[in-house]
Amino acid sequence: MTNPRTATEAGSTEIQDDRAAVKDDDLVPGPAVDARDQVVRGRGSRIVGIAISTFLTLYVIWTLAPFYIMITSSFKAKGDAFSLPAEGDWGGAAEKLIAFTPTTQHYTDLFAQGEFERYFMNSLIAALSSAIISVVFGTTAAYAISRGRFRGKKDLYFWIISTRMAPVVAVTVPLYAIFKNFQLLNTLPALILAYTVFNLPFAIWILKGFFDAVSYEIEEAYMVDGHSRWQALWKIIPLVAPGLAAVVVLCVLLAWNDFIFAAVMGGEAAKTLPVATQGLKSASGIEWGQIMAAGMVTVAPMLLLGIVIRKYMVQGLTMGAVKQ
Amino acid sequence: MAVNTAARGTSAGVDPSGPNKPTPRRYLAPLLLPAVILLALLSIYPFVWLIYMSFNAVGLAPGAPNEFVGFDNWSRMFSDSQYWESWGILAKYSVVSMVLEVGLGTLLAILLNRSKHEKLLITILLMPMMMAPVVAGLLWQYLYNGTFGWYFWILRSLGLLDEGTILGSSDIALWAIVAVDVWEWTPLVALIVLSGLKLVPQDQMEASWMDGAGPVRSFFQVALPAIKGSLMIAILLRFMDNIRIIDHFIALTGGGPANSTKILPLYLYEQSFSFFELGYGASIALTLLLVTILFGKLVVNRFEEREENPAKKDEELV
Repeated sequence: MTNPRTATEAGSTEIQDDRAAVKDDDLVPGPAVDARDQVVRGRGSRIVGIAISTFLTLYVIWTLAPFYIMITSSFKAKGDAFSLPAEGDWGGAAEKLIAFTPTTQHYTDLFAQGEFERYFMNSLIAALSSAIISVVFGTTAAYAISRGRFRGKKDLYFWIISTRMAPVVAVTVPLYAIFKNFQLLNTLPALILAYTVFNLPFAIWILKGFFDAVSYEIEEAYMVDGHSRWQALWKIIPLVAPGLAAVVVLCVLLAWNDFIFAAVMGGEAAKTLPVATQGLKSASGIEWGQIMAAGMVTVAPMLLLGIVIRKYMVQGLTMGAVKQ
Repeated sequence: MAVNTAARGTSAGVDPSGPNKPTPRRYLAPLLLPAVILLALLSIYPFVWLIYMSFNAVGLAPGAPNEFVGFDNWSRMFSDSQYWESWGILAKYSVVSMVLEVGLGTLLAILLNRSKHEKLLITILLMPMMMAPVVAGLLWQYLYNGTFGWYFWILRSLGLLDEGTILGSSDIALWAIVAVDVWEWTPLVALIVLSGLKLVPQDQMEASWMDGAGPVRSFFQVALPAIKGSLMIAILLRFMDNIRIIDHFIALTGGGPANSTKILPLYLYEQSFSFFELGYGASIALTLLLVTILFGKLVVNRFEEREENPAKKDEELV
């Protein structure tokens, strides 16, 4: 929870650094600005530099402001703290945004109902189980696709990827009917299977890239030494370990952040955090402080994970288009 | 940061066209089948069910029989004006948010590429993407709120909003959701484009500057051709996600006011799980799937093109 806040602070120091950088540019040309350029358009490039810093600063504010309001609102007492200043009263607005007495009331209220821990555990179990299933099955399949040559490989690969791209609602319709027949509705296994629809193809896709990058000679050396192919596969697992960890985290992220599956098939018994957070809204009168607190509980763990595996996050979110 | 293209064939002296020696057939089955069977159960089996459902009135009570209705669901769909309107709203929403995200994202990528604080900025940009979309929707609903919302207050204070609330006006609500999408996903476009920019040799850029081309022209002459592939992937992924994920809409408007934000996947959600017209929902779902598969084919072709393009092979930085 403190993490986004430190990031906010980091953001503001960053902004100052950037201004300093612009001044430096006058002496030391940046990578894309060569010396001649400095001579010809010295003043112009300074203006460009300021424009760039301003744009980046504004973009950082635009990105972080909702986080700031979410965090502060989750610690604001009911009533007056939530009121807005008169329209156009910018001074009053700044004061309202910064000065307030923090309270953990919304968090204690949230957990005092006694159900929120359960929703948290549901989210965790569903996300982790699906991630583990996807990584285990995904590893062997990705290895086979990476190393194997067989007819229909392209079609198989396309089928796997297109499954990952299917619209969530379109998948939910038949799964709902099927799970109803098997009496799986409102259970965690239903959610775990549903998340695996998207996580397994994702795991195969990303892990194939990691196996492609491992030289076959390494396995060959093991097999020459008398290991079986299975043992050789086992031996190269450490080489793709970063990939495995990244895929687990990304699968957890995808499942944790899901709303549709859990809302339709989870019911009360398998309610997850996003559904519970949205559920707070329909109660009589919207208690924004509490919703923001619930949102924080939902978002904070993923923010932490995201920052820990930052470089793989980029790769995963871009479906492997970006590799670090 | 380098692009996936480089993943193959970079490891010592391996022939890039077929990076590794084939695994003997007898190993393929036990390696592949578990995943393939599981995925088939979770995707092909439901797909067949979906087709079956689209020709039935699906019974709701436990054990209730389905009733075969022929093409009723399909003819209903083709004459359903809301269905077509929802396609239109989806197209409008997707095109506008895509244009904004690609424009802003490309600009961001160019600036990030030059910035000394690239790592920190990327970390900040990643943050919105970690947020559960439904929570992002709720957060923005709060920001837009006519009584407590800071963004509502700012718009009013700047004189940009004369009357009504943001989400309550049918001519603004869709654009308000576009803003949320831009907030959460522009960084994704920026990061994909950034990966393409990393492949542009710095000296080429500089040479173009030396020729007096200026930043804008050298961008179009040197950088744009190089990042075309990345841009295409970003655009396709964003289009697909706009069809895939409707959480923002559910949290922010639920399709209102006056159906002005009812994009097709949301209409499908409503028909299937508010009115429990599962047979009708199945028909809509199949048309959505068809479009997705076409888009998917385009995406995969793009990825393969990148993997097969030998000019970009040696760029990996690890």
